[in-house]
Amino acid sequence: MLIPANSAPSSELKARPGPFVPAVISIRNREPTAMTLLLDIVTTAAILFIVSAGLLAIFGVLEIVNFAHGAWLTVGAYCAVVTGGLGLNPWLALPLAFVTGAVLGGVTERLIVRPLYARPLDAILATWGLGIVIGQLITLWFGRDVQFTENLLSGTIHVFGANYSLYRIFALAAAAVIGLGFAFLMEGTRLGLSARAIIMNEPLARALGLDTSKIRLVTFMIGTGLTALAGVLLTPLTSVDPTMGVAWLIGSFMLVMVAGSSFGALAIACLVFGGAQVLVSTFISPILGGITVAVLSALVLRISSKGFARV
Amino acid sequence: MLGILALCALALVIVGPMFLDRFSMNVLTRSMIYAILAITVDLLWGYAGVLTFGQAAFFGVGAYATAMLFTQVGSSPTLIGLALVLAIIVPVVLGLIVGWLSFYYGSTPIYATVISLVFPIVVTQLIYSGGTLTGSSSGLVGYTGLPFGLEGFFRLSGICLVIIAVGALIFVRSDGGRILTAIRDNETRCAYLGLNTQRIKIVLMAVLAGVAGLAGFLFANASGVVAPENTGFIFGTELVVWTALGGRGTILGPVLGAIGIDYLSANLSGELPFLWQLIIGSLFIVMIIFLPNGLAALVLRFTRRGRSELPIESSPELVMKTSLHHKNSIDGPLLRIDKLEKSYGSQKVLQDITLDVSPGELVSLVGPNGAGKTTMMRCLTDGNESSRGVVRVAGKDIAGMIPNQIVALGVGRKFQVASVFESLTVAECLRMARAALETPSFVSDSDVLGLPSAAIEILQLTGLDQRLSTQVSLLSHGQKQSLELAMVVALEPRMILLDEPTAGLTKAERTTIGAILKKLTSELGLAAILVEHDLDFVRDISSRIVVLHQGRLVLDGSVEEVVNSEIVKTIYSGGDHV
Amino acid sequence: MFDSAETGAKLALDGVSSGYGTIAIIRDLSLSIRKGEIFALMGKNGMGKTTLLKTILGLVSARAGHILLDGRSIVSASPKDLIKSGMGYAPQEQPLFTDLSIRDNLRLAVPSDRTLEAALEHVFGHFPFLRDRLGQKAGTLSGGEQKMLILSRALMLKPDLILIDEISEGLQPTVIAQIAKALKAEQSERGTTILLVEQNLNFALEVADRWAVLKLGEIDDRGVTDASSRERILEHLKI
Repeated sequence: MLIPANSAPSSELKARPGPFVPAVISIRNREPTAMTLLLDIVTTAAILFIVSAGLLAIFGVLEIVNFAHGAWLTVGAYCAVVTGGLGLNPWLALPLAFVTGAVLGGVTERLIVRPLYARPLDAILATWGLGIVIGQLITLWFGRDVQFTENLLSGTIHVFGANYSLYRIFALAAAAVIGLGFAFLMEGTRLGLSARAIIMNEPLARALGLDTSKIRLVTFMIGTGLTALAGVLLTPLTSVDPTMGVAWLIGSFMLVMVAGSSFGALAIACLVFGGAQVLVSTFISPILGGITVAVLSALVLRISSKGFARV
Repeated sequence: MLGILALCALALVIVGPMFLDRFSMNVLTRSMIYAILAITVDLLWGYAGVLTFGQAAFFGVGAYATAMLFTQVGSSPTLIGLALVLAIIVPVVLGLIVGWLSFYYGSTPIYATVISLVFPIVVTQLIYSGGTLTGSSSGLVGYTGLPFGLEGFFRLSGICLVIIAVGALIFVRSDGGRILTAIRDNETRCAYLGLNTQRIKIVLMAVLAGVAGLAGFLFANASGVVAPENTGFIFGTELVVWTALGGRGTILGPVLGAIGIDYLSANLSGELPFLWQLIIGSLFIVMIIFLPNGLAALVLRFTRRGRSELPIESSPELVMKTSLHHKNSIDGPLLRIDKLEKSYGSQKVLQDITLDVSPGELVSLVGPNGAGKTTMMRCLTDGNESSRGVVRVAGKDIAGMIPNQIVALGVGRKFQVASVFESLTVAECLRMARAALETPSFVSDSDVLGLPSAAIEILQLTGLDQRLSTQVSLLSHGQKQSLELAMVVALEPRMILLDEPTAGLTKAERTTIGAILKKLTSELGLAAILVEHDLDFVRDISSRIVVLHQGRLVLDGSVEEVVNSEIVKTIYSGGDHV
Repeated sequence: MFDSAETGAKLALDGVSSGYGTIAIIRDLSLSIRKGEIFALMGKNGMGKTTLLKTILGLVSARAGHILLDGRSIVSASPKDLIKSGMGYAPQEQPLFTDLSIRDNLRLAVPSDRTLEAALEHVFGHFPFLRDRLGQKAGTLSGGEQKMLILSRALMLKPDLILIDEISEGLQPTVIAQIAKALKAEQSERGTTILLVEQNLNFALEVADRWAVLKLGEIDDRGVTDASSRERILEHLKI
């Protein structure tokens, strides 16, 4: 007998419904009420939004798909592990993750992404390679076992006649803060104006003397910082291990493809596809629910290559 | 050369078991099966330019089809035969579906990559939800398949690998195989040579899905276990990593990459489990950035200095072909445009264009920037461009047609920036122009190049006939423009559309192109429509001039009439409104 | 007279060649623009006028030759550096962010918001209509207003050399007159040097002190604007 393929380092993932299914939805035994279902939909959408926002920021401005996105989520989650290990307040993991993610992102943009702006498919591959490297470095440092982090918020809250996870409601608020923060950054600041100028018409932006390489660098850093932040926010929802981020990569990637460069479109895509995911998971099968986002996104793109970007 | 190599490789896999220990034989059997997959990834990505993570899924489907049949039904010689057929047919059908989803007119390369990511995820999830039928997360194990021992499987896998590698090498070196490279280099040009590139890519994907399925069949038999990881996109990315490290676009590079890395992984990952992955990952990044064509490119750089130095004897012989195409004459004008309009939202960039063009005419389309000239050319070669009005070519309404269908009506288009195939030779480019008329061989490269006399004449006038084996990227700008014109003429069109054919050319080159165009129209009876800024050139060669201004046709007449017209003087010197 | 080593040249090109990929657009071109003059570069479409401006600004890299600004080589300078050192550019192709407001379009021309208000006042002096319409999207302006906005943006940093690409294209004579007035005012009030790329003969001869005709990437003819210029240039431009 042959040695089984060692292709996927995914044995740890088997506790989940499948290796590519983020454990977003609490699988309940009892029948869901309309209210909990609604809350599931909006909070799932919020979590998807949080997880995808950093990828969108990078793709929107740089037109580069950061396939190391999952690794940055993992880095963020391990920031929470480190914070816990040092006995610090778990909330401190958020700024720590943002800074770590942004610094690593800056180095990555300089060394790996910058030479590949003209070769977007190769940039996907190189960042995927980087994801492998980061995953292995984390494994070397922390081991491959599942880590435990202190809960940011626990318990339930009474919303509209239903008892619901307090943390998931918090995630909704966090998504709103991230979304509004980004809206302010894009619409209200000079950096955002420059970034929008690059999205709309890069040759003109350069002809006006905008420092496009600096704007790209800063955007990449914000994107990766935000992604690491999202990694911290994920810790109460999923187990932390060196490959945890990969489970989220494809879903975020598909949502971003559909949303283009618009945060509004991303919010809508998260709500529609996240909603579909909750419904399929609840009423049909959580395993099939896990591929809902990817399959629906692919179909939407097949019908209209702009996806929801025109919304 | 290839034959000797193949025989050596065969000998190696046959005698191999005598020298290898069980562990190595085990690992190498698996590695060789993976190498088959790497070949399929290389054909899709390295040659045709389609970055795919989906080959793992076709492999997994083949493996699961085999293992499920053995587990659920049993195994007998008939069932093994059936498993082989299923392991190939099911992936082929899925390949057709995935190909249809991925490749359509206007689809982007990244979209095909997106689909190739979604597909393995869907397959994996279906396996997870398959219960005892698929063994869910633990996979299938304990079935009986082909009654071979360790050595038997080693030899079987090796022989399959050699056959497939040799087949792939013969294919990519054949005239037909060059089509893949042409599509990667310049898909638009392929479409405008009348090739249905979408269909070609779909067929390629289906065939390679079948090959991956065969590899899956071998794997399921040899390993005795199939697991969901075998179908996943992570495995798909590993295939791409091996292909990239070995050297995309070389067949042998990916084979060696797959075998080398998988074998080393098995040996080293025990001792340095994470470090090994770390090294592979880092190497991969460095390779993608600095050496995108992999180790094989490095080797090739030292052994021979690229294809540019092919000896002149290897040039094919030019042969005159009698016309194959469009012999029947047509009634009425060749091109009939009736009230053509193109608008973006409320802005009309073209309106109320009505124009007939007959065989033998050389019509120049002139007008200041933004007059709508290039837009009009697009409306004539893509049936989905115009917003209103009717365009008929040879009596047929082109509404809804995509470029290769319009080319089939006898329209050839020359682009403003020479649109050729940079990594092919001059002769291969010209052969590509004939591919839609005469299906090229998929197993051999012909040593004659049959072209219509007009195309040969262009080559002789421009000296390209002496450079047939030169790689196009080494040609000057003017030579590329001439080559593109020769390719368009090789299509045997009834009408050619040219967008600024003289841009960036020297005066001597302009004169040559002008003489060629005059001859094509006045002697050979082609119609030509020319967008041109160089008005001296226009005046010299046109039989008729059409003036566009702000999206409208303001004048249509002989050279004499237009040159002396007051309207034209105003448009060109004052910028005042007409 | 046109020696590139001419003293007092604001901008001097000497044997410049440039283009895209294997395509040579500008061939061995030499040209000298004096401090404080308006120079019109005429020529038909496709003759390399836009490429020349892009080469000066560093958007297209020169393959050969020297480009000197105030006597210093700027061949390897980036657009950002050049704009900082006092160059303004009014492009022709896709020249505005049509979905951004007029204010944002102008804002992108200044490096910091601190200097925005003063710069706005400067351009309002030339084109007062902009003052009341800052919030309007640039894409909703009429053709003439868009051209005035493009020129305003090039004037924001009070440059001492402006490169202007076919600003008169498709405009009514009244609008052209306004633009001509603004350019002449810049020249007389601040001593601004202006390099105009033009097809509109009437406009070019109205504002330019000297002219040259570009053909196939080379200078075909040149002279000082006088009574005979019109006939000479028309000879090169006619169909």
